[in-house]
Amino acid sequence: MSIASTIVQNTPIFGKMFSVDKSTGLEEINAWPALMIMASFVWLAIAGLLGFVMPVTQLFDMDTGLFYTTLTLHGAALAFPFSFQLMMGVGLHRSGGCVGKPVTGWLPALAFITMNVGAGLLTVAVLMGLKVSLMVMYPLPLVGAQMGIWSMNSVVLGFTGIYLVLACMILCYPILMLKMTFFGKKRPDLVLAERSLNDPGMLGMILSAMTLLVAGTPLVIVGTTVMAALYGIIPMSMAAWATEPVVFQYAFFIFAHNLMEAMALMVMSAMYATLPLYLADGTRKLFSNKLANLALWILLLTSVTSFLHHFITLYPNQPAGLSYWGNIMSWGTGIGAAISIFTVLATIWQHGLRAEPGIMAVLVGWVLYILDGASAMVTSNIAWSYQLHGTMWQSGHTMTVILSMSIMWMGVLYHHYPVLTGRKLDPMLGSWFVRLFVVGGLGAAISMLAGGAAGMPRRFAAWNQEGWMVYGNLTFFFGAILGASFLVYAYSLLKSREISSPLGQQVAAA
Amino acid sequence: MLDFLFSGWGAFWMTLFMLVPFAAIFFYVVHRKSVTDSGPSTTAGAKMSRLEGIWLTVVFVIFVGVNLGSLKYMPTMKAAHAATSNQQLHEIDFSATSWAYDISNRQIEAGSTVRFSGKSKDTMHGFAVYHPDGRMLFTMMLMPGLKNPTTLVHTFNEPGTYKVRCLEYCGIAHHAMQDELVVVKRS
Repeated sequence: MSIASTIVQNTPIFGKMFSVDKSTGLEEINAWPALMIMASFVWLAIAGLLGFVMPVTQLFDMDTGLFYTTLTLHGAALAFPFSFQLMMGVGLHRSGGCVGKPVTGWLPALAFITMNVGAGLLTVAVLMGLKVSLMVMYPLPLVGAQMGIWSMNSVVLGFTGIYLVLACMILCYPILMLKMTFFGKKRPDLVLAERSLNDPGMLGMILSAMTLLVAGTPLVIVGTTVMAALYGIIPMSMAAWATEPVVFQYAFFIFAHNLMEAMALMVMSAMYATLPLYLADGTRKLFSNKLANLALWILLLTSVTSFLHHFITLYPNQPAGLSYWGNIMSWGTGIGAAISIFTVLATIWQHGLRAEPGIMAVLVGWVLYILDGASAMVTSNIAWSYQLHGTMWQSGHTMTVILSMSIMWMGVLYHHYPVLTGRKLDPMLGSWFVRLFVVGGLGAAISMLAGGAAGMPRRFAAWNQEGWMVYGNLTFFFGAILGASFLVYAYSLLKSREISSPLGQQVAAA
Repeated sequence: MLDFLFSGWGAFWMTLFMLVPFAAIFFYVVHRKSVTDSGPSTTAGAKMSRLEGIWLTVVFVIFVGVNLGSLKYMPTMKAAHAATSNQQLHEIDFSATSWAYDISNRQIEAGSTVRFSGKSKDTMHGFAVYHPDGRMLFTMMLMPGLKNPTTLVHTFNEPGTYKVRCLEYCGIAHHAMQDELVVVKRS
């Protein structure tokens, strides 16, 4: 039995949700993905609790330090060990089944370890006092240590954690994906649904891996240099170039922006693969594979350089020409989105849809993703950026993009769950999850965007000014509904039943 | 109309303008093709292609229109105009350090066009100016280590006390990093 299966099996509560089905001979594409997915739900539980503490500190006028601690931990836990790890787990399981290659060996193990140990170290550093938000805000970590707000040890520990997480996202995962796709022998016994690179269901996975690798390499170089200096391997003078805020910030955002785009490419690909399975009798195809692929390529080409919109308000230190480029490219991603909107709706219209909870979760996640895309395009326009940058609008955008992609992956997981575990989920609970998510997700997103429109600052421990508290309260309210939707999802995982077990036995056992 | 569109709340309504029709069509299509009639549609392929063309054209026209309309409201355009015209500018220099601003002049005459030039001395900071009615007028990003200051040109027309806030998270007292500018009636 795989070590990954053993860990899952021996983990209380969460292990019960994801214990791997060993009877099908598919353990080699199930074990590590199941472990990653299980770990991602552990982090979701942590992130969810912290997400509630944040508004509570504001409502009850608690210590502002607690707000910034939870802010840093909530964002970091949600974005990386939850969302990215969920994508990694479901994506690897999917890819394994598409190309007939096992997800085994040292690479998946390394990806799992670097992600979770890294996130763990960052958590410890934040608990030691490091409060830097999920964006690091470099050079804030070093300035805070110089001012004596937190210790240098917490900075080194935090940077080590972030570095390990980045190593997972930029190196381990993409290399593993590319290795599985292009190298090694195909094992017919592992093929679940064979796909080629012409298939939009596979193309996005590879584009995504390539994007992470290419856009992340500058940050790996900068990060490695900084880490080597922090650990005394090279003198600090040799790392001076990498510690320049402008170098670090640009390297960071080339990656961070494209990380979100890469995750979008991957989940769109998964949607294109999953949707046809729920059309009419399950044998239909997308409205047009070419159009679907075109949307992915446009998204890739336009998004790579649209990261420049992060620095519009730095003018003239970022030249206006680059800001205009970032503006136009960001709106160019909207053309890709418009094509994907047409493809999906035309596909459903042409063939009819079996609206089961899994595909509905994918589709409502996609609706939220479109809302997020619209908010991102608006804030990327230079005129609007000057009035929205640094406000709650950005927090709403970040939260929505992470949430929408996570829900889409949870929908894809819903589809793959029986293959992964040998159990199936209750459709009634699944429907409630989708309904609650629609209300909570859209409500929280729109509340945060409204707060940004009203000028409410993000990452700001004093909401009680200019009437901004109302947006905080609305976000809290819809966030609670969102939390309820996740609880329903988790409950449905806990209550899953053996595929061979009739419902009557399940009820009797209960 | 355009003045409102290119404000914070204009951005909000623009986002909803893009979302609401899409969401309505999405829920209509899903309802129609999964609840009312989940069978295949009889819509001809040619009609779908025509719809595709119309949809992409509408999207393209809206995208181009909005971005062309926004040109006038881009502060970078105002800065370029100020640099190439003989417009008289009131210069205000400032620096940001955790968690305070050092501003060369906090009093401005109404109607003055001001060029703000700012630098950060330690970490990332922001310089956001809020109208007395609470809406944000603009924000600037200040990155330490840069040779040139971040600049922005703005004309203040209404007298009042304008709050300044840092919008780039800068540590445990970030929320307390605030200041004020006073716009007085022209004497």
